Amino acid sequence: MSLVRLEGVAKHVVLPDDTRLDILRGIDLEIGAGDHVAVVGRSGSGKSTLLNLMGMLDAPSEGSVSFRGEPVRRMRKARLDRLRGRNVGFVFQQFNLLAGRTALENVMMPLGYARGREFWTRRTAATRMLERVGLGHRIESTPEQLSGGEQQRVAIARALVRRPVLILADEPTGALDVETGASVMALLDEIASEADAALVTITHDLNVAARARRHYRLDAGVLTAFELDVSANAAAAAADASGLAANVEEGTDAAPGAAPATAELEPAAEPAPGAAPAPAGAAEAHSAPDPVRVSS
Amino acid sequence: MSGLVGALGEAWSEIRHHKLRVLLSLIGIAVSVGAITAVVALSEYQQQQMAEQSDRFGGRPATIQFTANSSDGTPMDWDAFGAHVDRVAERYDFSHLTRIVDPVMLSLQTPEQVRQVATRLVDPAYPVIHRTPLLEGRWFTEADVDLASPPVVVTESLWDVYGRPDLGSGFALQLQGDVGGSYTVVGVTPREYAGDEDKHVTMLYADYTARRGILPPDMAVAWEVWVPEDMAAEIGPVLAADLRAGLDAGVDVTVSRTDWASRPDQAQYAQTFELVTGGIAGLVLLLGGLGLVNIQLVAMRQRIREIGVRRSFGATGSRIFSSVMLESVVATAVAGVIGIAIAVAILKAPFVLDMFQGMQDIPPFPMRAAITGLVAAVAIGALAGFIPALVAVRSNVIDALRF
Repeated sequence: MSLVRLEGVAKHVVLPDDTRLDILRGIDLEIGAGDHVAVVGRSGSGKSTLLNLMGMLDAPSEGSVSFRGEPVRRMRKARLDRLRGRNVGFVFQQFNLLAGRTALENVMMPLGYARGREFWTRRTAATRMLERVGLGHRIESTPEQLSGGEQQRVAIARALVRRPVLILADEPTGALDVETGASVMALLDEIASEADAALVTITHDLNVAARARRHYRLDAGVLTAFELDVSANAAAAAADASGLAANVEEGTDAAPGAAPATAELEPAAEPAPGAAPAPAGAAEAHSAPDPVRVSS
Repeated sequence: MSGLVGALGEAWSEIRHHKLRVLLSLIGIAVSVGAITAVVALSEYQQQQMAEQSDRFGGRPATIQFTANSSDGTPMDWDAFGAHVDRVAERYDFSHLTRIVDPVMLSLQTPEQVRQVATRLVDPAYPVIHRTPLLEGRWFTEADVDLASPPVVVTESLWDVYGRPDLGSGFALQLQGDVGGSYTVVGVTPREYAGDEDKHVTMLYADYTARRGILPPDMAVAWEVWVPEDMAAEIGPVLAADLRAGLDAGVDVTVSRTDWASRPDQAQYAQTFELVTGGIAGLVLLLGGLGLVNIQLVAMRQRIREIGVRRSFGATGSRIFSSVMLESVVATAVAGVIGIAIAVAILKAPFVLDMFQGMQDIPPFPMRAAITGLVAAVAIGALAGFIPALVAVRSNVIDALRF
């Protein structure tokens, strides 16, 4: 059964000079229960907008977004908010924890919008979830007292505490070092699998993307599927946190002076036909070796 | 239920985490709520004092006074009229009835000289009806009529003439003339105000007439009866009719209410005082509320990302609105309680009670004042929270998350 279905979705905005900026074009995507999907793309390619549409935070300019077969557009705002709270968990790149609140208060926050038993037992549920992410001893710590990895684990606990069916992770390792990022992703994968929740990860990092079963590239607002071949060595490296020093290397956008990349991008990794070429230097500079091979 | 508890919890948590901001923004609210509460309470104290002072002259609500006079100029036969009053009063079974003759001038031997002193002749119900306070000793009882040395109550100023002797040591006044003799002082009434030099004696009517025989015809006797306030309008005309029935054609009976409650001017004065001072305090509260709006709006700008995060985790627009609104309401309610506590502390301070010198029954802290203060605090909280709450709800979730 499909959880989220995007059909012919386009998103555009009108800029102050009255020109139209197309962010997403003709997106067709279906996410099923327990699915694990990765979306890679450059900065500004529309990844976060796509995630916001899937998470029902934003509405498409064209096309339709359905959740469990029901078009989102027809839903009333309050119902949509409740539906999102009950079924979708977000993990943000910058964690977005509530400053000054303890880890426990942060994880309890989504349960504050629940009803009945889920609301009244929120402290117990939040404590259990923090224990599950290995932070049972830090429940009274505020974000300022936690390391980046710990903060992201709190964010994961917060995203999963209501047992959502869909987890949307926007660059979950973007603000973490390679080793911490790997352990955080391993944890996210593990908990999502335990809960049989669908996990959609948006990332620059092909090694993070390699954890997914389906892979998509978003370029200039166009979404295309691609195969990500993970060699035995790469898989081993992926399991090894120290080997996860890879970032997305696309075409010739690697920063000058970067170490030779071991990842090879097939022609399909090039921008979609008709897409405007990215300005020089617009993409992130990546220099770490990549043990992953990408093919269309 | 869980929604309300959740919103309240969020509001309280927000207040706890921003104690300093909340504290600074609420000082004005607490002070003005305290002022409003104090004004209302002071107004009640003032009304109480005015009522007590008025009771001393006109009797408690409702006091009906009646008297008679001869329309043809012949002297009144007070004995006959008194007997008529007694017959009428029997039918009503009044609990408090007194005769009053004031003043009767008597000669009093003081340590220095013989002087004329104004004397009030009353029955034991008089101090109850007039709520007359005592500085020392006691008022008359029914048993006093049988005492060999009739009891009297004197004013503090007269007591001072004798050097404030102990009432238990047999202090007595020596009166001269028709009612001459020794009169035991059983009580002393306090000065009505600073510098009150009124030298007055209060004596039982029965004791005077027992010595004097009949009252001089030039004296006027009035009767006062204390009746339930809600029945006064009904009793008055019936009593007047009963008193007039069976009297000679030459006797006019006058019946009137003398207590303050029958005169709306004093209540209006108190109301005006409350309105003016309350209006000033309300203005201060409004200014405090404006400050709160400003601070909350700035705080809302800083919290925009937090609001975006909450929205992404399922907070509805109405929930965000109620949380921000409640935050303001809870904060001002707390400030209101603090303000009320300050007002209570001020009103119990000795210097405030000194302002209401002579007040016998200090009223408990009026609930009306506390409720008014709390309602004002909550109302200003709701007003001050409305605009920031609207800003919070209207913020775009996507923009808020990127903020």
